[in-house]
Amino acid sequence: MTPPRYDDIYKQVVELLQEYAPQPGPISEETELVNDLGFDSLKVMEMLNDVEDAFDITYPLNSLSDLKTVKDFTTQILNIIETS
Amino acid sequence: MGILDKLNAVADARKTLFPPGVDPLNVVIDEIYSATEASIGGHRVLLAGTNNYLGLTFDQHCIGAAQSSLEKEGTGTTGSRMANGTFAGHRDLEKDLANFYGCSNAIVFSTGFVANLGVISTLAGPGDVIVLDADSHASIYDACKMSGAEMIRFRHNNIEDLEKKLKRLGPKTEKTLIIVEGIYSMLGDCAPLAEIAALKKKYGAWLLVDEAHSLGVMGDHGRGMAEAAGVEKDVDFIVGTFSKSLGAIGGYCVSNHPELDLVRYICRSYVFTASPSPSTIASVREALKAIQSKPELRTRLWDNAALLFHGLKELGFELGPDLSPIIAIRAPSREKTLFAWKALLDKGIYVNLVFPPAAPAGMSLLRCSISAAHTSEQISFLLQAFAEIKALMDKQE
Repeated sequence: MTPPRYDDIYKQVVELLQEYAPQPGPISEETELVNDLGFDSLKVMEMLNDVEDAFDITYPLNSLSDLKTVKDFTTQILNIIETS
Repeated sequence: MGILDKLNAVADARKTLFPPGVDPLNVVIDEIYSATEASIGGHRVLLAGTNNYLGLTFDQHCIGAAQSSLEKEGTGTTGSRMANGTFAGHRDLEKDLANFYGCSNAIVFSTGFVANLGVISTLAGPGDVIVLDADSHASIYDACKMSGAEMIRFRHNNIEDLEKKLKRLGPKTEKTLIIVEGIYSMLGDCAPLAEIAALKKKYGAWLLVDEAHSLGVMGDHGRGMAEAAGVEKDVDFIVGTFSKSLGAIGGYCVSNHPELDLVRYICRSYVFTASPSPSTIASVREALKAIQSKPELRTRLWDNAALLFHGLKELGFELGPDLSPIIAIRAPSREKTLFAWKALLDKGIYVNLVFPPAAPAGMSLLRCSISAAHTSEQISFLLQAFAEIKALMDKQE
């Protein structure tokens, strides 16, 4: 079952991705940041500042290696919120 | 897909960025005449992008010491210190560095890059945390990845963001290494080290400062930003390079923690690489003496930097935030930066062309680094050329 706050986080993540995506397009949970939205490492770093501010979290750079889809990103943020 | 396919993207980028026959990232210096002049493409060129801050590459004492060492000790060590043995020069340079910094321990590495790689990846490991400035050098990022520690980035030179991140770590700060640089290599801006050191103490963390671009440049005795900020006792580890102010190649780490000496037994970039050649060590030892005995070099360096920095500002260029020997001009686009870089070279001036990701925040830069060896005539020549380039760039708009 989807955790209760997942949907709220997902909604905010989509808004941030739409703002920063080099190749804007429709976004779903399975959308890939690099292949579908055209993110490169610099653009991801730029967005991470806003992600950290929006959720008041610290996003460890180690997590980037496991980040592929919007669902991954949302789940990572949820986990960080829950464990902090 | 073959393993080489990924390089197609590099080939495409090179083709898109640079016109045929122009490769600013692969410039060949045909002949080097002095610390400030060389021949490129058959033309005599003024060098303004070498990081040769004190101009010691042609210092007669350094050259003499290197020549004498070459005669006595040969061209190289042909192996690592652990396997082939430490030359007396390696040991003596470590003593010199420890004395220079007033520290108990020093380790010499083969380059500045591997000094960062080795020290950071050995000091921090799984279960530890590294909090690094976002604009840190590639060697620091690579070292952090290698370490297996949790890697947290704070916004460049942003004390509030650093504190926020330390606060969130809670008791983990006692296993947290903060990493910053004295002067940042691309924009030449300085770390607010006094504030960073205060946070390090407040939260009980550890602090490593990379003084690659500030050794010989900052501080009354040339020891770097930690000296200039008056926080040497609060810095746990200083890493630096021999390839800038000291005019050679190699790297080092100094510390008052006696455990630093144990790092050399397990640090892979120390154990498994050839040690610096004896002639390099000999020239570095002389250059380190020059930093201490010739403070006038530092005075001249800062006078030259101020002359160029303020001159470029008056011409209307957008520069980095701080006056330092690294003077970076922000250009409005990659095309204009490349145009200006090529036009400068045609006028007989070599500076560095820097594109993202080497430059921070997506900027394109014409990066100058000034030297104590530049004459006032050479700086006037630089300013005159930049004035002409500015007029050409403005015309393009």
